[in-house]
Amino acid sequence: MNGRSGAGGNDAPRANAVTVVSYLLGGLAFWGGLGWLADRMLGFATLFLPIGMLLGLAGGIYLIIAQYVRS
Amino acid sequence: MSADVRTVAAAGGDCPEPHIFNQQGCGFEAPGTDLFFPAPWIDFGLPLSSGITKYALVLVISALVVIGFWYFTTRKATVVPSRRQSVAELLVSFIRDQVTRTTMGKAGDKFLPLMVTLFLFIFAMNLMGIIPGLQLPVTSNLAFPAVLALFVFVLWNAVGIRTHGAGAHFKARLVPSGVPAWILPLVVPIEALSNFIIRPLTHSVRLFATMFAGHLLLAVFAAAGFYMFNPTTAMGPLLGAVSVGYSGIALIGFLLFTVFELFIMAVQAYVFILLSSIYLGEAMEGAH
Repeated sequence: MNGRSGAGGNDAPRANAVTVVSYLLGGLAFWGGLGWLADRMLGFATLFLPIGMLLGLAGGIYLIIAQYVRS
Repeated sequence: MSADVRTVAAAGGDCPEPHIFNQQGCGFEAPGTDLFFPAPWIDFGLPLSSGITKYALVLVISALVVIGFWYFTTRKATVVPSRRQSVAELLVSFIRDQVTRTTMGKAGDKFLPLMVTLFLFIFAMNLMGIIPGLQLPVTSNLAFPAVLALFVFVLWNAVGIRTHGAGAHFKARLVPSGVPAWILPLVVPIEALSNFIIRPLTHSVRLFATMFAGHLLLAVFAAAGFYMFNPTTAMGPLLGAVSVGYSGIALIGFLLFTVFELFIMAVQAYVFILLSSIYLGEAMEGAH
């Protein structure tokens, strides 16, 4: 896995932009989705949706940092 | 082609003369997404299927083009390559050096035939968008890139399971290494969604969307050029000359974007196999 140049000419290990975006989207979609479901079931208008989205965003950013920035 | 453009430019309106400076007050009808839903020639009436459409014909033609390419380049293969054979060898060694070796190392050589096939097949399918008379990139229908991406996705799992065993493969894909245990409940679902749903989805949508948008753009240029060409307008020769000038600009745009689109077609086929190789390389490498 050494010296691979990605689609955008990015030489950082495995840092392909697609994965980064999919972490962010996945985080927002999963935790935001759970929050939305919780809102629906518990009868809130919007309470858990933003909480879930923030949580998912934090998780996605954490994953990016843990895998691409720190290593 | 002109017949195609005529129907496109006239679509929707009941205009006898779908041109600029007409006296019926007809406006320009831009080509829409119905370009990508050709009327089926044979309809089986099955749910969620479109029957046999132009896509099937163009797909068969692109497969024949690829078969023909290999037939004519490698029919009389020799150790010292002829000119035709060296074209094929150039392609194979380009993909080996630029794609499989750089992403998977020597172990990637066993995926080289797959990647070369995929590249040429996708490129041929894209290319059908600018072949006069066909003018329909097969990959502008989401079904085709989706099947290819699904195939790569299944292969990616198979390679991972075969190299590391099912447990290790899924663990490597779901549990990021070097992460404290308390944060795992937060990030494991994100990893799962990202690796098993978003990734194959983006893999196929990337190819589909670029070909879809590019083809629509070309169609708009062609239809606009046709719409604006009205030298014999009843509103006088001056406006007739203006319309020819407008039309010329649209024609130049059409030609420039056709060249650009040709470049995009090659790049998208390349990106598709590059990503496939990166995924496969990651599956072989195991835990990250």
